[in-house]
Amino acid sequence: MAGVKPPLGAAFLRLLTLQSSWNYDRMIGIGMGVAEEPLLRDLRSEGNNGAYRAAVARGARFFNSHPYLAGLAVGATARAEHEGMPPERIERLRAALIGPLGSLGDRLVWAGWLPLLAGAALSAVALGAGWIAVAAFLVIYNVGHLTLRWWALRAGWRAGSDVTGALRNPALQGALVLVGPAMAVAVGCALPLVTRWVAVPWPGKPALVMLAVAALGVGALRLRPRLFTGPRLGLAAFAVAILVGALWH
Amino acid sequence: MSPENVIWLLLWGTLVGIDLVSVPQMMIARPLVAGAGAGLLVGDVEMGLRLGVVLELFQFDVLPVGAARYPEYGPATVAAVVLAHGIDGASATGVGVGLALVLAMVGGLSLHGVRTLNARAVRQWAEQLEAGDPQTLTRLHLAGMLRDLARALSVTAFSLAVAWLAIRLGAATLPAPLLVATSVAVCGAALATGGMGLLRLVGRGSNLKWLAAGITAGLVLAWLA
Repeated sequence: MAGVKPPLGAAFLRLLTLQSSWNYDRMIGIGMGVAEEPLLRDLRSEGNNGAYRAAVARGARFFNSHPYLAGLAVGATARAEHEGMPPERIERLRAALIGPLGSLGDRLVWAGWLPLLAGAALSAVALGAGWIAVAAFLVIYNVGHLTLRWWALRAGWRAGSDVTGALRNPALQGALVLVGPAMAVAVGCALPLVTRWVAVPWPGKPALVMLAVAALGVGALRLRPRLFTGPRLGLAAFAVAILVGALWH
Repeated sequence: MSPENVIWLLLWGTLVGIDLVSVPQMMIARPLVAGAGAGLLVGDVEMGLRLGVVLELFQFDVLPVGAARYPEYGPATVAAVVLAHGIDGASATGVGVGLALVLAMVGGLSLHGVRTLNARAVRQWAEQLEAGDPQTLTRLHLAGMLRDLARALSVTAFSLAVAWLAIRLGAATLPAPLLVATSVAVCGAALATGGMGLLRLVGRGSNLKWLAAGITAGLVLAWLA
């Protein structure tokens, strides 16, 4: 293994397209296989075409996880293939990673980093920062996003079958502890600021009506979650408003 | 709007559309970003931000985990900005958001369609995949990417056409009370959706106290600003 220089850059670029072939049969499996393939080419150059093809086939089977952390599985399984781990153990390794990577990524990114920065951007827009807040959101979010993807791929390759150790990385665990409260503060702060900002063009009674609609909406979403999703609630409010507006006119 | 402008909007909407799932997932697809970009393109950043903020609140309702189906707000936001800009004034928010909500559902359906087509292709080439043929693997992946590109382009073109049609049919001449009523209603619904989405994100654990601290800070800032 010491002589192997994995083309992590190529795998990383392919990981950015991971979900392009998302499907209900293999979910992100095809994208995983595509990302892993450059890391498996050494198996072919060692004159072992059968091992290479078998590894490619395994890499493209069913998989699902958070896309930003999928690199951990790509790196780890590619490393395990190079180390000659038995196929059934590689399959088990992949299967074992699905849950933890999904759960960790969802908590860290979808329910942490993303709403944290979206909340901060909403607050900044409401305070008058304009499009600069949006640009800052994009830059800061993607610094974290790309760093996480790159770390995941490298950590997976370094750890191989001991990839669960990589998930115990202190920086990752620290980020998990911090991101929840930070997200709650950011989105909490954004809500009153945005409420005030959207009501600016309609001060007085219309603003009060807006708050009343919001309160009714919370009730509807809470009491009838199957009937009312966000878009349905919005369209229902829109339809009622057309009637009211027509009568008012 | 000049043909050149329409082409830029089409390109922007397509980019926004493929960013959602395919490549590179850099959050250009967030309504706030899509709206600001469309606002820059039509020369009305304020309107782009306004619609982006309201639709961003609806986006908080979405958690894209597993095989979840969800509305696609990106291209819908681009079309909403075009429509609202055509009507002019903050009171166009309601009509813009109303259109965006419908288009977002159409976008969500198109995502489901592409995923179904991808699954069909995977089944068709299952034998080659199981034989570890790298060419088949790459071809399937690229085909998926192209399908999503075509989908994003079609959804954006359709959305822009609907916005254009609404303007041609006289959306700009809608009476002011109706515009205000719809704007107030959809903003209220957006706040409710965003608020509930945030509560779901925060959960019932210790983060609730941090949420309360954030809301307090927001109220103070809103009062001071």
